Formats: sequence, structure tokens, C-alpha cells
Amino acid sequence: MLVRRISQFFIVYGAGIGFLLALKSILGLSDYVIPGFMEIWNTGLAVANDYLYDVLNTLGVAMIGQILSIIMAFSIGTAARKSSWLGSFIKAAAYNIQAYPIVAVAPIIFILLGDGFASRLIIAAMICYFPLLLSVVSIMSEPITDIEHFYLATGRMRWQLEIKIRAFENIRKLTTVISGSATLAMAGTIVAEFIAANAGIGHAIRIALYQSDLSRILAALFLIGIFLSLYQGTLEWLGEKIIKKWVILDPEEIP
Amino acid sequence: MFLECRDLGYRYPQSPEFVFQDISLQLDTPGFHALFGPSGVGKTSFAKLLTGDINGYTGEILKKENAIFLYTYNQERLPGWSSIGRHLDKITPPGMADLCQELVEIFGMEPFMNQKFSQLSLGQQNRINLIRYLLQDFDLLVMDESLANVDERSKENIIFKIKERFPDKYFLYISHNLMEVSKFSNAILVLLKAGKQPQTSLIKGLNIHRNDVINSHELDTVLLGIMNAC
Repeated sequence: MLVRRISQFFIVYGAGIGFLLALKSILGLSDYVIPGFMEIWNTGLAVANDYLYDVLNTLGVAMIGQILSIIMAFSIGTAARKSSWLGSFIKAAAYNIQAYPIVAVAPIIFILLGDGFASRLIIAAMICYFPLLLSVVSIMSEPITDIEHFYLATGRMRWQLEIKIRAFENIRKLTTVISGSATLAMAGTIVAEFIAANAGIGHAIRIALYQSDLSRILAALFLIGIFLSLYQGTLEWLGEKIIKKWVILDPEEIP
Repeated sequence: MFLECRDLGYRYPQSPEFVFQDISLQLDTPGFHALFGPSGVGKTSFAKLLTGDINGYTGEILKKENAIFLYTYNQERLPGWSSIGRHLDKITPPGMADLCQELVEIFGMEPFMNQKFSQLSLGQQNRINLIRYLLQDFDLLVMDESLANVDERSKENIIFKIKERFPDKYFLYISHNLMEVSKFSNAILVLLKAGKQPQTSLIKGLNIHRNDVINSHELDTVLLGIMNAC
């Protein structure tokens, strides 16, 4: 799974570079607009160490932001699963807020909190949070009647059990949603860094943009792609581990 | 009076048509009773009204005070995160462990206690589901196709065991199998399509127990009675 993800990224990245070089060749663009292959390669080698640190910095913020948004989405999402007044209110609010481009709020956060770690973290978490919340709400609101009926009929149903049943029955959807949200968290962090932060790969891309240095931007994109693939692949692998352990077979229980 | 329905009627929400109407009946004798009728006449809806799983009916349902009515059906599932043995341990009320063990043996489920629900055949799934309901505190248990996909021999054994082990309880068995309904049930409530008058017919079944010899003439009479009612 991890290997497939990374190899897919190499294909897409290679195709992207190929497209740019083809464009350069067909339109006769200068090295200033689209640098040649060797220049891209040499720049990549030159900035690799710095950018590696920047990407890890960004990934760290994205991971913390994603964990925060997962915790919030599951807390709020499970509270909103009921068709009570509170549940309906949370659902309506989540749908409405989700429809608004959260990234547009980012400047306010930078004005209030400055351009440090907290701003990047909040923006990453916010961008990741709302799609996750909607998924969790829709999964947790759907009763699993065939299983829940017994517990309801015999008065054994507790909210913890209800959540466990629904999470168990939708474990594949939940793990897919969580691993998919890694992209959102990473995108949120990079956007935050791009707007006003003082660290991270988004910040490095902004500097490269001001210098119109496409080679640096391509090097940054390469590292972002590799590390995001690694992170998502790890999340998917963890998800599969959980599914195997919890859902499919428990070796101790097989006669 | 254990259960009485007076002019009971039901229609699905937003539907102008009644599924059934003007059903009146009384149930005062514990034992194994049946609800029979062609598909779509509202057997499940009727049963769910009795157990309170659905509401919105016309007429009256009068139950013995504090009587517990449970409804179980053949597509119910056990949670998949633990073995069925562990699940039974968790849902068996205190003091019922012996009954649980006895039912597991009688229902032929002993070899499968370490397996998960999804690893069982349909018949085994239905049997284990029925066991967990039989372990609960109830006065009337509606068994909606609860023994579907169970072989005839095991089915017979299970029904006899239920009759022997729970003589004071009420059972309402929903099945499309004319023969088993006729043989095992005491009272058979035949439900007919809406618009037919009368919409129900109450027929006395053979209500056989273990080692009873079936009188083929009596069986024919019951079978004919049900078929004529339909």
C-alpha cells in the first residue's frame, strides 16, 4: 500500500515535470520561466536539507492539527448523532460553516495570534475539521438497526455501546476518512504558512515564489508529495491493522 | 387478561391505505402461538405494535400490567467484535448461566462459541440470536421467522425445548411454513389482506409436544382450516 502510494506519486510528479519541460520546449520558454531539467535537479540537491527540515516542520504541525481535529470531530460528531435539538443544531451549524471557505478566515487568525506555531496549527485543524465532522456525523447518525434492536428492546443500550456499534460497522469508512483528512491538514498548514507564517515548507515556497524560482518550488512539491504519501500510507496501514485486529480475525478466538 | 386487541388498525406513516384494520383478539393461554398469512398482510407490523417497536395505530392494545413483550427477527446480528460465547456471557442475566449452557447445547451451538457471528451460517446466526432473547426477562416473545434457515430436525427440537423450558411464557411465532405452524402452535391467528372481511381468523393448531403422535386427520383439518381462511 505504501509502496503503491509512493510509486503513484512518482508517476504523477514525473508526468508533471515532463509536461512542464514539454511546454518549455514547444513554446520556447526561457530558463527563467521554466528551468531545464539539470537546473531543477541541481537546485533540488542544493535545497534538499533545508527543505527536508521545513517539510518535517510542516508535517509535524499538520499531524498535530489533524489529531486535534479528529478528537474534536469525534466528540462533536457523536454528540450530534441524536435527533435532539442539540444534535440538529450542531448538524446545521456544521453544514453551514463547512460551506464557507475557512482559509478566508486565516488572516484574522494571523492578526490575532501572530505568525507563530499556534496560527498554523489552528488553520490546519480548522481546514481538516469540518469535512471530518460531517463524515463523522453522517456515520454516527445512521442506526445499525439489526444490531441495536436487541439492546434497545432489552434496555441495555448505552451511548458508549451505540457509538461502538456504529464505529465498528463503519470502521472502513472511518479509517478512509481519517487517512484522507491528512491531505486536508497538510494543505491547511501549507496555506497558513503561505499566507503569513515564519517557518515551514509553505513559507519556503512563498520565498521561492517571490524570487520566481520554479526549481525550488518543484523541489518543495517533491518533498511534500513524498512525505504526504508516507504519512497517508502509514495511516492506511494503521487502519488496516485496526480492521484486522478488531473486525476480521482475532487469532485467540479461532478454535 | 394477558393481551387483548380491540379494533386494531395500522397504516404506514404518510400512507392513506390501512395495512390492516379492525383486528380484535384475546390471548390468555401461555404457550406457542402463531401468526400466519401471505406476505404483505402486516404480520410484522402487527407484531411490532404489540411489542411497542412501532406506534401510530388505531384501536386499543391492552396488556397485563408490567408484562414484558419482546420482538426478535431473523436478520438481527450480534456485534462482530467478540466471539458469540463472549457475547452471551455479557448479556446473560445473573443466575441464568445454566439455562444459557442448556440452550446452547440444545440448539447445537456448543462447537461455535469461539467463532464470531459473521463466521456462522444463516441458520446458526438465527439460533444464537434466539438464544440470547430466551435468556432475557420476558412474558411474550414474538419470533419473526426466527428459525428460518434451520433444518427441520433442529427446528423441531428447539420448539419442543422452548415449550418444555418456558411453559408459562407466551410465544408468537411468525412463519410462512404452513406445516410447522399447524403442528406446533396452539392458537393460529391468520391475517388476511386489507379489505377482506373478516380480516383475521383464529384457528386451533395441534400444539404437539415431544413424543406426541400426530393424528394425520387432525393435521389435515388444521391445514385445511388455515388454507380456507387464507
